[in-house]
Amino acid sequence: MAWNRLTPAGRALAVLLPVLAIGGGLTTVLLATFGGAIAATIGANLPIVRFLVAAVVTFLISVPVAFLLIYMEMKIIALMNLRIGPDRIGPAGAVMSVVHGLKVLMKEDYTPPSVDVPVFTLAPVVVYLASFMTLLVIPFAPELTSMGFELGLLYFFAIGGLSVVGLMMAGWSSFNKYSLLGGIRAAAQAISYEIPLTLSVVGIVILTGTLSLPKIVAAQDGSFLDWFIFRQPLAAIIFFIAITAEANRTPFDNAEADQEIVAGFATEYSGMRFGFFFFAEYVNVFVVSALFSAVFLGGSNPPIHVDLHPQILIDLSALGIGLPLIAGIAPVLGTLLFAAPLWFASTRVKGWQALIGGFLIFGGVSTAAIGLWAFVMLPPVASLIWFLMKTFALVFTFVWMRGTLPRARIDQLMGFAWKWLLPASLLNIFATAFAVLIAGR
Amino acid sequence: MTQQMRPSLDDPRVAIPADSTWYEPAPIPQTERQAEFLTLREGEMFVNMGPQHPSTHGVLRVIIKVNGEKVVDLDPVLGYLHRGVEKLCENADYHQAICYTDPLEYVASLFCEAAPVAAFEKLMDVDVPRRAQYIRVLTMELNRIASHTLFQGWMALDLGGITPILWAFIERDEIVDMLAALTGQKLLYNYYRIGGVNGDLNHEFMSRLGTWMSRAAAQIDSNLALINENEIFVRRTRGLGVLDAKTALKMGVTGPNLRASGVPYDLRRDRPYLVYPELEFDVPTRDEGDSLARYLVRMDEIKQSIRIIDQVLHEMPDGPVMAKLPRLLRPRPGRAFGAVEGPRGVYGTYAISDGTDQPFRMRIHDPSFVHLQLVGPLTKGNLIADTMAVMASLDPVMGGVDK
Repeated sequence: MAWNRLTPAGRALAVLLPVLAIGGGLTTVLLATFGGAIAATIGANLPIVRFLVAAVVTFLISVPVAFLLIYMEMKIIALMNLRIGPDRIGPAGAVMSVVHGLKVLMKEDYTPPSVDVPVFTLAPVVVYLASFMTLLVIPFAPELTSMGFELGLLYFFAIGGLSVVGLMMAGWSSFNKYSLLGGIRAAAQAISYEIPLTLSVVGIVILTGTLSLPKIVAAQDGSFLDWFIFRQPLAAIIFFIAITAEANRTPFDNAEADQEIVAGFATEYSGMRFGFFFFAEYVNVFVVSALFSAVFLGGSNPPIHVDLHPQILIDLSALGIGLPLIAGIAPVLGTLLFAAPLWFASTRVKGWQALIGGFLIFGGVSTAAIGLWAFVMLPPVASLIWFLMKTFALVFTFVWMRGTLPRARIDQLMGFAWKWLLPASLLNIFATAFAVLIAGR
Repeated sequence: MTQQMRPSLDDPRVAIPADSTWYEPAPIPQTERQAEFLTLREGEMFVNMGPQHPSTHGVLRVIIKVNGEKVVDLDPVLGYLHRGVEKLCENADYHQAICYTDPLEYVASLFCEAAPVAAFEKLMDVDVPRRAQYIRVLTMELNRIASHTLFQGWMALDLGGITPILWAFIERDEIVDMLAALTGQKLLYNYYRIGGVNGDLNHEFMSRLGTWMSRAAAQIDSNLALINENEIFVRRTRGLGVLDAKTALKMGVTGPNLRASGVPYDLRRDRPYLVYPELEFDVPTRDEGDSLARYLVRMDEIKQSIRIIDQVLHEMPDGPVMAKLPRLLRPRPGRAFGAVEGPRGVYGTYAISDGTDQPFRMRIHDPSFVHLQLVGPLTKGNLIADTMAVMASLDPVMGGVDK
């Protein structure tokens, strides 16, 4: 049969092409018939559509973010441990975490007997939902905020607190004492640290008069001295410690302390359900880092405003037919240009190797050039890059702490929250309010 | 076996009912202590740790009775690694018995060889050549450093720090590699013989040792800097599991655990063997008796060991490394006790000879076994996390406990 002789790619095409043809035809007919009505519905319910699109996009970016963070953690901790770390899959092991994700997808999804099945199944979903829903209000750039609504900060704390419910569900339903201890530890810890976390930003709310994250970022416009980390240093310290505990990271990772309670709430989970917990942890790290950089590090504002007044004005339309010609010839010329030194450098380099090398170098150089151009010319790109740089600096700090510090004991952890962080955050509120009362905003 | 006969989880004979709370029948108490342990009061529950658990140092099983996070009672269950070493030794001749004692303590196995060798040499009145004695001191001190550096990493790992153990393994690997160059084995050396050692120092060992000694002190100091003054580490270990000198002596504690309680008892100085009386070294002690003190005493001992190695390398004489002995060893009937100061305490061997070429009875004293009984008294009233900190600071090795 012809089917047996087809390659996997051929089989995929043979299945996909008819589906695409039929689906495309149907879509065209539907659009032609109901197009006007659909457009009218979308126009009438724009906020709902906007929310749906934002939620889907947020969900879709949360998984690659988790992959990136997992790879970062593996590689950076390996370097701190004087190991090499992942180096087999992809350049420098970069695809390792994706393969980890595929691995947990393919593993057996085992439900132990005598667990509470509905709760056991729902728990990872709740945890992951709580993690990625908080991404909705992160102001990546003034133009790139999924949902920039007024109560962004409050929404963040409310939804972020939901993950405790998931951890508690996992701990209780697993029918395992380690899980129970882990779930209860997570709940106790999260409730204790939510309070200083929320109270520490009250000072900033007093100063800016808003709970909206884009407006808080906008209030830090100017040089880096306007950032709230310099205007509210005590709040920044409290906030950083509290988000470390909130994200269950070392030294406050008591909920999954593997030396004491094996894996805490995740002990009985396997396969993709464990994967959800695992991804949620890293999405959480990214989210809390992003929140810290938005609230305290000026978010998408550059440290110093340098107005370059770029004068790179090339009128592309003046080129006319020359534009597609240049676009077609430039890669070829660039590839040859970069291949030439490789070709002449050593007689052992074959022609095709030099060409591939030249193409890769050209790709890298042109990408860097376009990125630099976008950074200089397009404000949203520059804002996004500043924001991500700050966020990943914080992510690095979290990974660094994981590689360096031992774990705090649970009573020290709780004592620290109630005896030191809570009074300090109250003190911060009073000092800020007093200063505002005396000096005005 | 056909497809139908294979048991499935849906089979009513195999399936576990959904409302079951015990997977095995509750044990019937045999003693008063056991009855007290098995009685659960309001709010208490058992947590079983081990034999498969990330931080019980091998196959120790600990049943912990907790009230919330607080440990109310604790019961270590031993025997998962029992191999019957003492009985095996009674069925082997004197040379073969030495290699059975090797895997008792797989972290510092030279000390497990040294104790029976010392006992057998007393039994047979053998004079060990001076060069062999120096080589024994040199290799034992190297092994002590290897064991203590690993302890440092373990201690940090049990408190949740992941980096120190990998840094510690760099030093341990180097030492283990150089001992492998000397003895041919990385873990179970089987190097000491009755009347000497198996083979003189070779070039590879000496060159590696020289390279390592030139950087050892600085390297170990940099490892210690990783956690020694870490606020979290110190707060978690200071004042935890305090062992006072009286209890320690009553319980038969030896080694660094005893010295951390303020008793300066070191077999190398107080009941000297080999060439230790000719060497200069201090016996580091601490008065606190807590987990931090036990940790710091071991770290101080590393420095003393480096000092001893330095002296040994300067004073090592030439000469044979093996006494002239008959091939078949038949000591006259009698009994002898040999003991050495190891990284965990006193390793002792009591051997009885009945005149044949096999020991009539061999009794092995292992410090880990003695120290493990402290886990219960030292942990009661603390938190679950402290169990790990106390256990790590006592540094038991399950191979020696279960024999």
